[in-house]
Amino acid sequence: MGVVCVYFYPVPEGKSGQQVVDGIQKQIELLGAVKTGNFCVDCETFQAGSGIQNTPQRQVNILHSSEQPASCFAILDTGTCLVADALFDGLMQKLKHYYQQRKGSKIESKGQRYEYGDFIFKVGSVSQASNFKGILVEIEYCPCVVAGDCMNLMKEMSQSLLGSAVAEQQSSFLKTKTDMIYTPADTMSQYLEHFNNFKKATSVNQAMNR
Amino acid sequence: MANQTPNQIEQLHKALKLTQRLRSNVTQVFQKLSDGFEDVEKKDKYLLNDLHKTLSSVNTDLSDLEAGSSTLGPLTAASNSTNSTLICVDPIIDKTSTYTQLIHTYKWTDKMKEQASYASNLLKENQFKRTPIQSGTFTKRLRRSQPACCYPQSNVDVLLNSLIHQYRDTMHISVVRPLGSSAVVMIVLGKTLKALLVLRGMVIEWVKVKGYTEDFHGEDGKVDIWSSSRYQVFQKITQHVTAATLHYYAPEMPDIAIKSLIIWLQSYSTLFSTPCQKCGQFLQNGLPPTWRDLRTKKAYHERCKLMEK
Ligand SMILES: [Zn+2]
Repeated sequence: MGVVCVYFYPVPEGKSGQQVVDGIQKQIELLGAVKTGNFCVDCETFQAGSGIQNTPQRQVNILHSSEQPASCFAILDTGTCLVADALFDGLMQKLKHYYQQRKGSKIESKGQRYEYGDFIFKVGSVSQASNFKGILVEIEYCPCVVAGDCMNLMKEMSQSLLGSAVAEQQSSFLKTKTDMIYTPADTMSQYLEHFNNFKKATSVNQAMNR
Repeated sequence: MANQTPNQIEQLHKALKLTQRLRSNVTQVFQKLSDGFEDVEKKDKYLLNDLHKTLSSVNTDLSDLEAGSSTLGPLTAASNSTNSTLICVDPIIDKTSTYTQLIHTYKWTDKMKEQASYASNLLKENQFKRTPIQSGTFTKRLRRSQPACCYPQSNVDVLLNSLIHQYRDTMHISVVRPLGSSAVVMIVLGKTLKALLVLRGMVIEWVKVKGYTEDFHGEDGKVDIWSSSRYQVFQKITQHVTAATLHYYAPEMPDIAIKSLIIWLQSYSTLFSTPCQKCGQFLQNGLPPTWRDLRTKKAYHERCKLMEK
């Protein structure tokens, strides 16, 4: 497990999501990377029920990653992350009187996984309730454990693959974690940040369309 | 046989001839006896006479041979021969080529010895700085100093303890001795890498570099010095550090050799955060600059280092 950067890759007008994904994959294959199967990151949102009055509505997001198949990540709005065994899903079902699953909230990023030297690339198409939302590209540099050490190295790699416009984005989350040891939970937090952005964008679009 | 006098050779010939005659006479006697005696009544006198004659000639031949052989004495050639000439004399070995091969080998060894002495003379003119040269003023000092691999454990411990204290801010050094006196030194450099050095006395015998998340202990909890890192970058650095141990190797001052290697190793703390000093890039074929210059400690890609020289 190394340091991961998850990038949002915009789909230009007049192009389909699949076309853009194909383009990125071609770029990755040109570099010499090898396909190593598929990956999936999914996220479900649970809402604290009306059990307690006078408290702001709390959310908990449950994420799973095919890279850590035995784990389950529960992240609160506040950013607090709990890493638990996959059995935690069952516990959430037991808590359904307090935490209710939001209908149609499940959002996931799915796609091809590649390996290149000590790097892992994942090109994911994001969809919510089978609607295409956008593209997320994950770059992992496995030998390094401190995000601050390899930020510039990551930037160079993402520039060559995704172009400098995309490489410029840096997760606000990663900026706060520059000298701590990077964990898989940090990757999940990045995905959640992107998933929330997609959801926000959707609601803005819906508002504009009304 | 060459060291026999002509007289002796003549005697030898004589004896051989006598032996031949003796054998032919003896054969005649047995021939006659085996043919049997027909018509014994008429010729018995003649036959007995004949047998008597041949037997007496056998007798004279035998005494002649005995007299001749007493003058010959023992074979001198066989007594002073070495093992190799014995092989030559042995008739069974004639069928194999052992003896000729042996001669070839001797010749070849002689030639090699001669050429090696030429080479050694030539090399003496170009003194390599790290090779101890067994000549001139050097010899005396070398003989007094201890071989670097035979330093007592206490000396090695003193050195390692001083290193542990000196560099405790940048690296964590620990020492174990899983198999007797050979020390296994484990170094954790920041949050970047882990290195393992195996010492024999004060000589660095083995190097392995792994990632910060990897471990030098096997599943059974014992120290595992053999397995390589799963990451390409640390496999490459292992090669480079092994090369550096040869560069810093100094049999005269083994403690300096270990110290310099450890100081040089510290330059890897910026492994992921420093671009190559030659091309300015971070990555080359998916690897960061894995080489550190042995003098300046600047970061280079493996290929850029070759171009720099
Ligand atoms: Zn370079």
